[in-house]
Amino acid sequence: MLVNSWNMWVLASLIALLPAQGGPKKWTAPETFVAKAETRGATAVASAPITIQVDAYTKDADRKVMEEALRTGGYPGFLTALRKAPIVGSVMAGDQKFTVRWAKQVPDGTGRIISIVTDQPIFFVGGGKVGAKPREGFELAVLQLKMDDAGTGEGTMAAAARVKPGGETGVRIDQYADQPIKLVSIRREIK
Amino acid sequence: MSIPALIVAVVLAAAGAAAPGQSYKNTAPESFRANAQVTNSAAGVAAQMTFMIDAYTPDADRAPLLAALASGGSPGFVEALKKAKPVGSLQVGDLKVAIRYARMQATANGGRRIVVVTDAPVYFAGGGALNAKPKEGFDVAVAEFDVDVVGLGSGRIAAAAKVKAGGPAGVQIDDYAQQPIKLVTVTRDAR
Repeated sequence: MLVNSWNMWVLASLIALLPAQGGPKKWTAPETFVAKAETRGATAVASAPITIQVDAYTKDADRKVMEEALRTGGYPGFLTALRKAPIVGSVMAGDQKFTVRWAKQVPDGTGRIISIVTDQPIFFVGGGKVGAKPREGFELAVLQLKMDDAGTGEGTMAAAARVKPGGETGVRIDQYADQPIKLVSIRREIK
Repeated sequence: MSIPALIVAVVLAAAGAAAPGQSYKNTAPESFRANAQVTNSAAGVAAQMTFMIDAYTPDADRAPLLAALASGGSPGFVEALKKAKPVGSLQVGDLKVAIRYARMQATANGGRRIVVVTDAPVYFAGGGALNAKPKEGFDVAVAEFDVDVVGLGSGRIAAAAKVKAGGPAGVQIDDYAQQPIKLVTVTRDAR
């Protein structure tokens, strides 16, 4: 009995050490993510569902054009380049659809981090306040999804934002809202 | 985006059914806490509000407001309202605005219907949307809620509103929001 138990343990250990069948998952477009956007202040909370459709990830060549435009032309240069870039997907918030012109994914452990940029803002959080700050200059939205290898994750959304060169990554994001919107319960839709 | 209208027929005109005054058990000074909610098929927002009512507006102070509305329209009403004595305040988050009109009338089973008008808007629901409509002219907030004999109830608020002459009751409320904000779980706090 003891021998049998030992053999079972060895067998289980060997199975665990075997590479997963087919190797690491290779996620790729087209793919769709659904999420719940949430923001909360001291006395208020808001939530809304959003759907992110990625038809294709931005090609390196297109991305380099936008990165170079940001480096040389700052935010106005980047915005111009972004709006000339090919459409690679959409973000649906409520009954409004926003065009995605930047979509990039990078590996993160066993999962990945996906960044999405739309060519116009999605919502001005705090824009309904009395004495709300001006909206000028916040002309796009930036979403970041941190996905695991099972296709679930969480993230953030700067629903009205502008980008500037700077910071450790070379890109700094200023957003209209006082705090980022959380994207919770993100799920990759199986088609 | 269409401009929705919220017509609260009882707000000013029907307030001729005078407040029971000092003979009524529940009267000012008193305060009410309420959870404000607005939801549609896709999104939801909730916030806490506190109505502090120091005194109810007497008949003598109501007549000039109605006269100003009849003769000067919405601008005339707002001007007259701002000259009226403050009778309380409405606090939403860190924003506090003066209540310059507060009336109550008896309802069935010992309950009350309370109507308050502030001299400034408290929130532009939908004002953060990309294609939000202009905020000009929505210069007040109008709340109406019913409470039972122990001070529990519900109601609604036009958090940014325009008071106009017209409609069957002679007073019409245009709400900035696409749909009225509900006041749920209104609770009276003894002061």
